[in-house]
Amino acid sequence: MPIKWLNRISAIVLSAGLLSIAARAEVTLLNVSYDPTRELYQDINAAFAKRWEASAKEKVVIKQSHGGAAKQARAVIDGLEADVVTLALAYDIDEIAARGKLLPKEWQKRLPHNSSPYTSTIVFLVRKGNPRAIKDWPDLVKPGLSVITPNPKTSGGARWNYLAAWGYALKANGNDEGKAREFVTKLYKNVPILDSGARGSTTTFVERGIGDVLLAWENEALLAIKELGPEKVEIVVPSVSILAEPPVTVVDKVVDKRKTRKVAEAYLEFLYSPEGQDLIGKNFYRPTLAEVAARYEKQFPKVALFNIEDVFGGWQKAQKTHFADGGLFDQIYQKQ
Amino acid sequence: MRVWVIPAILAVAGASLAISAAYGQDTPATTQELLRRIEQLEQKIQSLEQAKQPTVDEKGRQAEAIEQVEQKIKILERKRELEDEAAQAKAKEAPIVRAGKDGFGLRSADGNFDLRLRGYVQADARFYQGGETDPAPDTFLMRRIRPIIEGSVFKQFGFRIMPDFGGGTATIQDAYVDGNFSPAFKVRAGKFKPPVGLERLQSGSELLFVERAFPTNLVPNRDVGLQLSGDVFDGAVNYAAGIFNGVIDGGSGDNDANSDKDYAVRVFAEPLKDKEDSTLRGLGIGLAYSTGDQSGSAATSNLPRFLTPGQQSFFSYVATTAATATTPSVPGAFADGSRERIAPQFYFHKGPFGLLGEYVRSNQEVSRAGVRRDVKNTAWQLATSLVLTGEDASIRGINPRKPFQWGQGSWGAFEIAARVSRLEVDDDVFAGSATTRLANPRSSAREATDYGIGLNWYFNRFSKLVVNYDQTEFKDGAASGDRDTEKVLFTRFQVGY
Repeated sequence: MPIKWLNRISAIVLSAGLLSIAARAEVTLLNVSYDPTRELYQDINAAFAKRWEASAKEKVVIKQSHGGAAKQARAVIDGLEADVVTLALAYDIDEIAARGKLLPKEWQKRLPHNSSPYTSTIVFLVRKGNPRAIKDWPDLVKPGLSVITPNPKTSGGARWNYLAAWGYALKANGNDEGKAREFVTKLYKNVPILDSGARGSTTTFVERGIGDVLLAWENEALLAIKELGPEKVEIVVPSVSILAEPPVTVVDKVVDKRKTRKVAEAYLEFLYSPEGQDLIGKNFYRPTLAEVAARYEKQFPKVALFNIEDVFGGWQKAQKTHFADGGLFDQIYQKQ
Repeated sequence: MRVWVIPAILAVAGASLAISAAYGQDTPATTQELLRRIEQLEQKIQSLEQAKQPTVDEKGRQAEAIEQVEQKIKILERKRELEDEAAQAKAKEAPIVRAGKDGFGLRSADGNFDLRLRGYVQADARFYQGGETDPAPDTFLMRRIRPIIEGSVFKQFGFRIMPDFGGGTATIQDAYVDGNFSPAFKVRAGKFKPPVGLERLQSGSELLFVERAFPTNLVPNRDVGLQLSGDVFDGAVNYAAGIFNGVIDGGSGDNDANSDKDYAVRVFAEPLKDKEDSTLRGLGIGLAYSTGDQSGSAATSNLPRFLTPGQQSFFSYVATTAATATTPSVPGAFADGSRERIAPQFYFHKGPFGLLGEYVRSNQEVSRAGVRRDVKNTAWQLATSLVLTGEDASIRGINPRKPFQWGQGSWGAFEIAARVSRLEVDDDVFAGSATTRLANPRSSAREATDYGIGLNWYFNRFSKLVVNYDQTEFKDGAASGDRDTEKVLFTRFQVGY
């Protein structure tokens, strides 16, 4: 008799324990992103959590992780359990697919616009009054000028900067690769310091007062002006720049393991919604939804843009040629 | 008054000029020369001033040079800053090696993987003074040699392995895995101490006396099973409930000989532990209960024997005797049914004073020669202690304020202790004839009472020297009546971390 009684008590205690665990559980997502998206995803996360709780009746907490895009991708490959990755360029997510085997190779076809809910470009940020009279790319290779840009080995933004410069030089020199190399070599001779990410370079230029010009994400430059005021820094728009398409995706193996696929997919779809696109515009990224893009058109400078596919044959090729170990960047950059 | 002053000055000035003109014809060269010289001097001053002050271009060059120097300094500072950040990031990723009061350890930077190495060693000596003959030889022995390996993975899951090489034999004392889901809900599976006896649940390295008192004879030592436990009400109440293979009183086991299981539950409360002003802040009180249905056979009795503090057997059930050429086999006693233990317990610590008490009643149905009896054995103890050097007494041992340092006048902590303990075997055990009684009063005592005193010298938190004297008196247990009083002097030198 007492044994049966205790059996029941054991079952009750065990069930109560398991129920208490379940009651305390909440859905959490980890968004592993690149350096300058902190403010964007703070806004997106708050808005999505509100919407998800209203529609799915479930509390969701989204954690953010930021850093140089290549570093972030390596962390995910090494085991950082990201439910979604929102990185600076497709190559880094390709690496997660290829090396980490965490998502399918065709991940980029799963969402509209090659899985890029927003775009951006590269512009120059100079000090108030543009004391070094910087107007376009050729000004950046003048002797004595100090150019701030992060390290392409660790930063996605830095790779966009580098390719924007290379693309300009090709166009200006009739696609002469030798002259493009010469131009970019001269440019990096003017780079005194390489931060690991775009936000670090902004700190170097804006807060530490180093350098004459910062090669920056357009959104980062606009944010700097918003936060510091036009009396401190101003934007110079080059004659031509690159169309940057930062992509997003769920990390399949992680969301399946953590049973978070549904909420993770909804989170990324939210980026394409009018509400998400509006927050994207407010944070100085170029929305892809036409009606929202039209609303924010005035805040973005007009600049002729080329894309990586046309000029470099896509990210895989660009990465291999320029940024792989022993690639062109390693050959042209000498530490100062 | 001012009306006439100005014309007067003008008149004087005019007169001066007239006089000057009148005499001018004699000194014109001198005046012109002077004027010229003045002009020359003014030019010289101007040129000197100009020479002293940099040109606009020079100003610009100087500012540029200063700015360049400033930029270089800023770049160097920023590079240093980035190097520091990189070093800090690298340090965050590096595993952490620890060596300190909690043992030695290795932990991953994110804390998800942790490995700790601890252990303790006890070198004992026992000196017996019995009646006509000593009950056991005086001896030195290594009572416990226990390395402890503990670890955790992803913080919530842990394990512990503790072998014991004491006495020259190797056994696994603890080997279990933990799931620490919250302070209120933890799961443990493996071999460990079932939640019954208070002194048994104390670590062997934290005991007040060299050997535990009689109640420990009636509670399980180590058993294999599954336990849920946790702290509730802000840690004021600890609960534990588990299912185990079932071991005999005072016993340990690695396997089960039957499918029946023991259930154990214990609730222990320290209701005033957070009331700093309360006199009863150090009071802990609890109740443990275990039950099961355990049987043996005439060949394997599944029944315990009881030990004195000197680790000598003073009670055992009648065992089966094998048949000889002239006599048939005589069956012994064996466990045959319900086993139940109840154990109220408490401790109280106030400053240097400590008090610990527990009572255990163990019921076991035992059969012999076709007769089944419900045997009720009981034991209790009351132990008290006083730390002479003023440190706080604790169930976890003493932490000396001034650890012992040779030649430095720092002596560690001293504690005195005393206890009374008794075990009473159910009278029913001795009832019946030589072939039906469960134990023989001429070889097994029906009652044992221990009086013990002790002096503990804590060199530091990790090492101590213990000197105990225990005197145990018996009722029955010898052919002539009462078994000789056991008098034992213990010493123990213990080092652990």
